[in-house]
Amino acid sequence: AQALTSGSRRRKDWMKLIYSSNLTPEEVVAGKEEQMEDDEDEDVDNEDFFRIKSVAKREEDEEVDRSKERVNSEELKRLEDEEMLDSLRRLFITGGSTQE
Amino acid sequence: MAQTLIHFSGHHHLRLRLVLSILSGKPLKIDKIRSDDKNPGLRDFEISLLRLLEKVTNGTVIEISVTGTALLLKPGIISGGPITHDCPLSRSVGYFLEPIVLLAPFSKKPFQITLKGITTDDQDLSVDLFRTVTLPHLQPFGISDGLELRIKKRGAPPAGGGEVQFLCPVVKQVKTLNFVEPGKIKRIRGIAHAVRVSPQFSNRMIEASRSILNRYIPDIYLYSDVYKGEESGKSPGYALSLLAESTTSVLYCAEAVSQPGVAPEDIALQATRALLAEIEKGGCVDRQHQTLVLLMMVLGSEDVGRCRMGEPTPRTIQFLRDVRSFFGTSFKIAPADPLDKESSQLLYSCYGTGYINANRTLA
Repeated sequence: AQALTSGSRRRKDWMKLIYSSNLTPEEVVAGKEEQMEDDEDEDVDNEDFFRIKSVAKREEDEEVDRSKERVNSEELKRLEDEEMLDSLRRLFITGGSTQE
Repeated sequence: MAQTLIHFSGHHHLRLRLVLSILSGKPLKIDKIRSDDKNPGLRDFEISLLRLLEKVTNGTVIEISVTGTALLLKPGIISGGPITHDCPLSRSVGYFLEPIVLLAPFSKKPFQITLKGITTDDQDLSVDLFRTVTLPHLQPFGISDGLELRIKKRGAPPAGGGEVQFLCPVVKQVKTLNFVEPGKIKRIRGIAHAVRVSPQFSNRMIEASRSILNRYIPDIYLYSDVYKGEESGKSPGYALSLLAESTTSVLYCAEAVSQPGVAPEDIALQATRALLAEIEKGGCVDRQHQTLVLLMMVLGSEDVGRCRMGEPTPRTIQFLRDVRSFFGTSFKIAPADPLDKESSQLLYSCYGTGYINANRTLA
């Protein structure tokens, strides 16, 4: 989650990450790079019809099916800062148009 | 009609997979449900959800293996009508309401469903946000008249005792979405409720929240919702649910629920900051509603639907993969402002499947 907020602004190719990678969704969001096709399945050419995802690797945490996104506590800390709060004014109608 | 069986492993993302199976009419098989767990198999709330889906449909066959670690669903038609369901106390009403909201517009008869249980918890959206934020998200798709959620009784965890009624009209087809202009925030609304504790807690939360929000806009109305006696459920609790609306009717929401040993002021600040974080992420849909909007886009009429949103959550990523398994639809996802290096917003577009509510025509 830190990678999202920090300045590493290299664009992700979301379509590739979502539709043609074996990373779990959590790994995609965390910005993990995919090991390029060398390791693990040498037998790539067998049908990847069922697209077995690497669920097995995930340890069996009781990660629940929840619809409310967890709020990142670091992110909340960031919003305690007065300057940070002021910088959000641009998103409100009263904020005027700060120089683009 | 021999149909392809869609196969998954694991208990993750169960709800949306069940919904996709029922909507697409494709049978679903899930195995290895917590097979390595100390306590293997489906949980009580998952079983309860399957029961509920059985009630709202007609002809659905659900087979669960002896150990509860495998599940086969052969979907029937969505029938709707008046239904009552007691939700177990392990999950809130929101857990059950989410799949219901996705299925209800495509029913044979309009839904009139009563759900009993916990109305607000920290895992799923509370009924307040369902009423004020989730349901308005359906409006651009042409689902609005007669869409209503009534909160009859509140129920805080652990003992619950709440009751809500959800009414949903039936549509033939959903409209194509074209939502790319986030606009600016023009108003903020909030609902503070406190049950079986001092009603003063609501006011304390409102005051704390205003201490941050007042600087932005004058149009802030935080409502203290009072439920008394029987209507306030069986356990004490309080929560603050906030929403911000933009000039183009984008809705962002956030909420925080009472925790033991935390002052109401801190709960309010938590909710307020979470709302600001959501506003900062921007886009036309907040993170909790990504899957709802994307699903309706897939089901939209045969035209290109577009929506601007922030980065997908893990849940959304898996959902997009699952959508492709069930409907064969993949989204085009491109940066919304290719020139702005700072912006992480994305433009999601897809060609609607032209899903027609076949259940309705049978009526």
